[in-house]
Amino acid sequence: MNAAPLARRPLSCLKSGLRQARQQKIFSRSMATRAAATPKTPSQVPDHNFYRLVDKKSKTLRSAFAIYPPTQAAAGIPLTPVKTTNPVAALHDLQIKKLDPTGARTALFARTREAAKVGDILLVTHRRGGEPFAGVCLSIRRAGIDTAVLLRNHLGKVGVEMWFKIYNRNVAGIEIVKRRLKRARRARLTYMRKPKHDMGSVAEYVSAWRKSRRVFQTKGRRGRRLLRGRMGRAGGRRNKGGERGREVVVVVGK
Amino acid sequence: MAPRLAPAGAAKLTWRLPLRPSLSPSPAALRTSFSTTSPQNVKLGWSTLPSRARPTRFNQVTSGLPAPTAGPAAALKRRAQSTPVRAGVLAIKKGMTAFMGLTGARIPCTVLQLDRVQTVLNKTRKDHGYWAVQVGFGERDPKNVGAPMLGYYEAKGIAPKEQLAEFRVRDEKGLLPVGVQLMPDWFYIGQRVDVRSNSRGMGFAGGMKRHGFSGQEASHGNSKNHRTIGSAGPSQGSGSRVLPGKKMPGRMGNQRVTVQNLPILLIDNELGIVVVKGCVAGPKGCVVKIQDACKKPPPPGEFIEKTMQLLKERFPNAEEHLQQARERHLELKKARQEKRIEEILTGGWEPTKEQAEMMDRAIAEDGHESLGEEQATL
Repeated sequence: MNAAPLARRPLSCLKSGLRQARQQKIFSRSMATRAAATPKTPSQVPDHNFYRLVDKKSKTLRSAFAIYPPTQAAAGIPLTPVKTTNPVAALHDLQIKKLDPTGARTALFARTREAAKVGDILLVTHRRGGEPFAGVCLSIRRAGIDTAVLLRNHLGKVGVEMWFKIYNRNVAGIEIVKRRLKRARRARLTYMRKPKHDMGSVAEYVSAWRKSRRVFQTKGRRGRRLLRGRMGRAGGRRNKGGERGREVVVVVGK
Repeated sequence: MAPRLAPAGAAKLTWRLPLRPSLSPSPAALRTSFSTTSPQNVKLGWSTLPSRARPTRFNQVTSGLPAPTAGPAAALKRRAQSTPVRAGVLAIKKGMTAFMGLTGARIPCTVLQLDRVQTVLNKTRKDHGYWAVQVGFGERDPKNVGAPMLGYYEAKGIAPKEQLAEFRVRDEKGLLPVGVQLMPDWFYIGQRVDVRSNSRGMGFAGGMKRHGFSGQEASHGNSKNHRTIGSAGPSQGSGSRVLPGKKMPGRMGNQRVTVQNLPILLIDNELGIVVVKGCVAGPKGCVVKIQDACKKPPPPGEFIEKTMQLLKERFPNAEEHLQQARERHLELKKARQEKRIEEILTGGWEPTKEQAEMMDRAIAEDGHESLGEEQATL
């Protein structure tokens, strides 16, 4: 190890010899306190640490094994541990980015003041034809890409409930017909199924909203343009075919 | 297989036999008393039958008979069709979600995550009796690993893994270099895979839940007997016994369940995920084995070649590393046997920068002093 001083040491001199011995002692102590040693010898030996098996009672070294770094594969090529602990959320983000590039759908059901809430009357337009479905929102099930809303309405005096996946391509648009006056104090308004609380058909609200909207469209051109600017979308594009027509139409309020 | 005695055991047995009243019979006497034992048989156990009484002598390959339809070779051949060509990977079930298709289809899917999946061992027909690849997953603290396994990983040049599993492959073409990482791109989108995992444990469950028995009526004079299994079998005329395999209450779940032919919807190397269509048995966080579907044709040859090429590109020196690790293991093993391991631990010590400086200073001082002393002595 330190061969040079050893060679220089005059053999006859006891004092300096003893000093050398003392110096050696320092080295040996520091060696023993070193927790993990890396082998110095040739480059042939792969890089590793040691795990020591120590006898609990006598505190003496029982054995030791080479431990290769867990973040390395063969000869130093990195083995990266998986980045996110929750890849499901990452997958949700990936898909939402693709299916809702403007973020309008996300914004409509975000936990904000402006967003749609439980108790509001919503109107969902479906791409696969059929009448748009309106109803009171009974619950919002937030689950990333799988987020869905439950709407309840009466069709021909029969209570009808429908779940809509808000990011689904078949859902062409969701509009807020009427907001609830006061914030609901429940997350799920299942009590609205009971006759006492049942709202009945929301057709009246929808027709009133349509009427006001028509008025709004014909008279207040400026207002409509304003709305378009805010959402980055125009409601009129909904009925057009082709690539642009397939885009999401989500109009919040009026 | 019938228990056989090792030669050492056979020797012990001969000592016990009351051949002679004396305590130590001479070797010659022993030899004569077992003269009918052929030395050939002693190697694998012992037999007192003459060699010609063995019926196997009639069924030699040289006698022109067809290959036997039973036995290890025949079994491997029989199973070749249903054994995947390639090894699989280990993953963790991260949960279920939906995959929204561009046409508006919603597909329920399961997210499986691969964490540092490495090949650990190749099992061969010659050494182990079949072809398989042992694969490791994740990382385990060495303090939670026993000494035998620490030695095992040491010899492979791999850090201790959280899980180890074996994947049978059809032949030697399916074997992989040891220590390489298998990423999600080991599979391709649209490929069919079999996913194996342990189902959720339900604990001790009754007949109704466990086997779907109907139970008993709620009324019509029924008293305190609604969910029992009822009769366990016919009476005296049929033997007054419960037939083997009778479905009864007991531990439910926590069994290996294979879901076959699941299509892969998505692979992502960066997130380390494989997304399969549909559900997979077991709770979130359970370990899952994914392998090419055995009931579908194997992946196309070009794809297999491409994945093998990728492995080579990513880990060009895997074999070299394994060889070095093996040599190092032998060296350390010898040291452990000779109780020299402490020397090796200290021998390869490298000082940190500070320590090196301190040492240099100490040596320099010492050198000056010793020089002065030399002069004094002179």
